Amino acid sequence: MARQFEYTQAEEIRNAFARHRVRYLFLGKSGAILLGYPDTTQDSDLFLERDPENGNAALQALHDLGFIQLKNGPFDLDLVFAPDGIESFARAWARHVEVEGFPVCHPDDIIASKAASNRAKDREVLPRLRAFRDYWVSHRR
Amino acid sequence: MKERESQAAIPAAVLSEWEREFEAAARRPLQTRLRYAFVRTYKPILDDAPYRSFSTTAEYRAWCTENLPDWLGYGPAV
Repeated sequence: MARQFEYTQAEEIRNAFARHRVRYLFLGKSGAILLGYPDTTQDSDLFLERDPENGNAALQALHDLGFIQLKNGPFDLDLVFAPDGIESFARAWARHVEVEGFPVCHPDDIIASKAASNRAKDREVLPRLRAFRDYWVSHRR
Repeated sequence: MKERESQAAIPAAVLSEWEREFEAAARRPLQTRLRYAFVRTYKPILDDAPYRSFSTTAEYRAWCTENLPDWLGYGPAV
């Protein structure tokens, strides 16, 4: 089992992906947590633009992070190219949020993706996540 | 519309408590928020392989439904 994900790994992802100019966004609960949502999760969901050039850049960045052929890495990452509920990477990118250099999906996209997945575990968190979205929108600086 | 209705059904006391939690989280630096956010627990079957890849999200969802225990919550909501 990979070791627990920590802030330093988030920084390593951010820096390696920036170095290789990977177009990606934090999605899911890890994205919400970056925006300030108080909760726990186990791994990071990264939404990557589906494009050969971006795919190659992501592979190089992941190699830098210690992943060997995407099979074994120092921590858990979920790489998603077509998340439920999000029309396209371009649309998600157009309204994404930067948090200390971390590119994160807008809360509405995080919610849309969780709602569309229709999983029991996602349904359970949606009311609190929607309340957080309202809080975040009204307190955004 | 449906979303508004379901949010309106949340008791005011619960919403207030959540708001206090959001405010408390907003006061913590990002590094602290992440330190408390990532908690590693073993999930049967899901964690029993070093990696998995699927061609489509639908294929991944179907695998979860067929292979994971219901209580993990990865199956469709009923």
